Amino acid sequence: MKVNIRQEGEVSVVDLSGKITIGEGDVVLREKVQDLLDFDQKKIVLNLEKVSYMDSAGIGELVACYKRAKEKEGTVKLLNPSGKVYDLLQLTKLEDVFDTFKNEQEAIDSF
Amino acid sequence: MAAATSINLVIPSEVRLVDLVHEVSQKLAELAGFSPDDALNVGLAVREAVINAILHGNKNDPSRNVDIRLDLPEAGGIQVKIRDQGGGFNPEVTPDPTDDEHVLNASGRGILMIRAFVDNVTFRFEEGRGTEITMVKNKVQQSGVV
Repeated sequence: MKVNIRQEGEVSVVDLSGKITIGEGDVVLREKVQDLLDFDQKKIVLNLEKVSYMDSAGIGELVACYKRAKEKEGTVKLLNPSGKVYDLLQLTKLEDVFDTFKNEQEAIDSF
Repeated sequence: MAAATSINLVIPSEVRLVDLVHEVSQKLAELAGFSPDDALNVGLAVREAVINAILHGNKNDPSRNVDIRLDLPEAGGIQVKIRDQGGGFNPEVTPDPTDDEHVLNASGRGILMIRAFVDNVTFRFEEGRGTEITMVKNKVQQSGVV
């Protein structure tokens, strides 16, 4: 999985591409979000547009990021989950947990 | 009608091998005539079952193997059996990960995903003799050709 982080004002937009799966993408996601929280960047948007799929470990890491951010009074929101990723969020009922957006500016303005 | 095809994979309990098994099963599902999306679903179901076998069945012990048998029956569809060499556990007793009290759990979604991605799932386990999961995705429905 590839990661690029952009700073849009106070909001960190994390562009993810590839797959978020056990032993690879899940570890990268954990480290990048933890780095942001360590540097007091608490407004985080995960851009999932180019994530092809996740497995249960990847979904678990998404939840772990959400909880870690919340512990530090931060927020993780989702942008543009692709077809399969959106299906998985629906299946696991996590679409009810995460604020999810289709438009990046709307996601940024929502904080 | 195509002849039946069977492939047997035996892997040590190493998470880095999960991608390999996923790719083989997804590719085999494509050969069976499933759409790319359905073939991905087969790959994801197999991935979750192999992860369960490595982590929960074999407890990450690389000296214990995971046996994966993939069958393309003559009648169509795909059947996958995955067996670990662990102590035997009942994967169906895990709590529903979509319940409000569990929705934020970091783990426990594998069985939910498997059930969503294939048509039939059965488990067999015996104390001390490992756990076996059998997954079936039914044959591709042909569009009505007159």
